[in-house]
Amino acid sequence: MAATSKAQVLSLYRLLLKESKAFPSYNYRTYALRRVRDAFRENQGVEDPKAVEQLLQKARENLDIIRRQVSIGKMYAAQRTVVESTQKKFV
Amino acid sequence: MASLAHRFSYVARSSARLCYGSAVPRAACASIVSSRRALISCSQPTRWTKAVRVCSPTPGLCRKYGDLPPLTLQNIEDRVMYVLKLYDKISPDTLQTSSHFMKDLGLDSLDQVEIIMAMEDEFGFEIPDAEAEKLMTPAEVVQYIADKKDVYD
Repeated sequence: MAATSKAQVLSLYRLLLKESKAFPSYNYRTYALRRVRDAFRENQGVEDPKAVEQLLQKARENLDIIRRQVSIGKMYAAQRTVVESTQKKFV
Repeated sequence: MASLAHRFSYVARSSARLCYGSAVPRAACASIVSSRRALISCSQPTRWTKAVRVCSPTPGLCRKYGDLPPLTLQNIEDRVMYVLKLYDKISPDTLQTSSHFMKDLGLDSLDQVEIIMAMEDEFGFEIPDAEAEKLMTPAEVVQYIADKKDVYD
């Protein structure tokens, strides 16, 4: 993998995790974090530049989706679930 | 009625003790005498004022600031190592301050990104990508945080 592409992948990974952490809803938050981690691990071995580019594009689209859903989630905050009732901040 | 009168005198005494020199509470109490109901409702606050009077205000009355203990190199290192020990892919036994994340601990670049994010959460500031990718050992992380937080010694 080219150096630029590697840096891009890592920075996208970081951004995706960071945005996913902002989900107000516990279920969406944990799902998003898990899904992002799993997806990056799953495609760790991909070497083909075209495939990498496709995956990067997919990641960017998903980043937009996550951002949109986070702001929608903030507009329509639901009651907290039992598992997170004592948690004060969204880490 | 006798017991009521006794109670009233107690009310008057305790309120007088509470507000030195001011005639207002005593006047307020005097107006209470007229109605028995008011007197009974007044006996409720008495218990309260008594409770207040018992605990003296001087000892234990100090202001508590909500702040963390000051950062030193030692406690930055402790916190960094603590965060690393909690990370599930690092075994606490093999962890040293000088161990390289990739060479010694067998992590990859994705893990390294996650570790740096955990450090950001722990210390509450953001580490830019360009600097984050250079931090490869706990010692370097400690040094970087100390520089950013102006801790020298």
